[in-house]
Amino acid sequence: MSSEKIFSIFLIAFASISLLIVTGIVISLIVNSYPIFLMDSLSFIFKSVWNPVKEDYGILPALLGTLITSAIAISISTPLAISLAVFSTEILPMRFREFINNISDLMASLPSVIYGLWGLYVLAPILYQYVMIPLHQYLGFIPLFSTKPIPTNLFTAGVLLAIMIVPFASSVIREAYSAVPYYLKEAAYSLGMTKWEVIKTMLGYIKSAIFAGIFLALGRAMGETMAVAMVVGNTFTLPKSLFDMGYTISSLIANQFPNAEAYNHMIPALYGGAFILFIVGLTMNLAGLYWIKKVMSKG
Amino acid sequence: MNKRKVIEKVMLGVISSLAIVSAIPIFAIVINIYSEGARHLTLDFLIDLPPPPVGGRDGGIGPALIGSLILTSLAVAIGGSIGFFTGLYLSEFSHTRLAQYTQMSLQIMVEFPTIIIGLFAYMILVAPLKRFNALAGAFALSIVIIPYIALNVREAYRSIPYTLKEAAFSLGVSAPTAYLRILLGTAKRGVLTALLIGMAKAAGETAPLLLTILGTTFTYFGGLDQPINAIPLLIYNFALSPYERWHQVAWGAAAALLTIILTIFIISRLMVREVKI
Repeated sequence: MSSEKIFSIFLIAFASISLLIVTGIVISLIVNSYPIFLMDSLSFIFKSVWNPVKEDYGILPALLGTLITSAIAISISTPLAISLAVFSTEILPMRFREFINNISDLMASLPSVIYGLWGLYVLAPILYQYVMIPLHQYLGFIPLFSTKPIPTNLFTAGVLLAIMIVPFASSVIREAYSAVPYYLKEAAYSLGMTKWEVIKTMLGYIKSAIFAGIFLALGRAMGETMAVAMVVGNTFTLPKSLFDMGYTISSLIANQFPNAEAYNHMIPALYGGAFILFIVGLTMNLAGLYWIKKVMSKG
Repeated sequence: MNKRKVIEKVMLGVISSLAIVSAIPIFAIVINIYSEGARHLTLDFLIDLPPPPVGGRDGGIGPALIGSLILTSLAVAIGGSIGFFTGLYLSEFSHTRLAQYTQMSLQIMVEFPTIIIGLFAYMILVAPLKRFNALAGAFALSIVIIPYIALNVREAYRSIPYTLKEAAFSLGVSAPTAYLRILLGTAKRGVLTALLIGMAKAAGETAPLLLTILGTTFTYFGGLDQPINAIPLLIYNFALSPYERWHQVAWGAAAALLTIILTIFIISRLMVREVKI
């Protein structure tokens, strides 16, 4: 066999590994979680109970926790991410742009455990003092703010997630924004538009990229584990307000897995949670990739 | 001023202040981590065993630092080689069906919650051995970084001008020589950046380690089949402990980790900048 042939077989072997890994992970999720679905069927998703002693598990509070924290994160981070992208491509003087982009990339590459440590000891007390207590005092009649807050809860986790995903969402939007054909911008200015009106037009033009950024960021927020595990309170109750301590699926796995082996069905239950998380996250990412494709076909 | 001008001023102001607000946390994080943690960063701190919760010596993060070095090197070696050849394949054989599937797998992997990768490594390497071990951690970290390395290596090889590739092959050398000796020289910085990005990811990743190496050992390296600690895991465990002294160790460890990440980040940025010129 020629060395060319051997080399291409060699490369094919390596390229197949990722495919095998993804297949392996999906299979491992299915194989390890089917006992819990066999035992509880779908009530595993809609039950709110975590009782290792009775071997009774239902993931609903953690699933809600994942949805609530990522909803908080996405509603805070979307306006911030769009602003950051516009600011760094349109408003900031040219020579500062690389700096702010570097800052944003650095934020995206900080380990989540560092966000977690900072969130636990710096962010949580600040939010507690200046945001949660006032909201509870003055707007406590709204169910969202009705629980008497303590520093680590779903709300803190949501805000910390927002901080973490801003740079990520913003870089997707930034890329699309700077890829808009220049003549479009020129045309807009030549109509006598103000800068804000131009920005508005441009944002309308890259709407798909904004959706893509939001969905991809949502996928990240749902899967994020360590930072959330450090500030979410790790309490298994059905959340009644944003200020309740809670769990997310990933923080539940992080927190419960180390002692799961002592019980018969906890490991399948945690794999079951991971399987649900995988499905939800994959949906978000496929939605994001769909919108990115739309952007690409436009350009 | 007419109404449109006023709206413009207001909106530009709103956008700018929101942008600045979103960048504040990074400065706050770096300042807080160093103001709390930098004073711990002595040589003793880097090599000592962790302290007891109360009494005794001040201690350090020695085992975790060594564990992190071992795990990160292994991950970069394993994940780096798989990622490199995968990226090369994607760049040069992008038209094949396998390339499309691989591309899709990498995109899914990059967005995978890393804790799920930890669960996978647990099934493959922890459950059969009936013991948390370093190898499982390195295995999980390798999977985490493969997509980052592969996608960046793909870009590095893709950015080589076509004329250069033609020139390399017209020398009459074999494909491996052309790709790995001649063209690698051109793609060198891109490939190194890819490896650095992977290294930073592996050094800071925590979630999969929780399910693979467990970490709370107070011994230095004891073999790849034994539990091991890592800096990010130590930060997590100590930060959530009830002891103030362990919180301090967590801050010191965070300062060390942040320094590692910042160093890798700055080196990779400098390399990218030189490429541009």
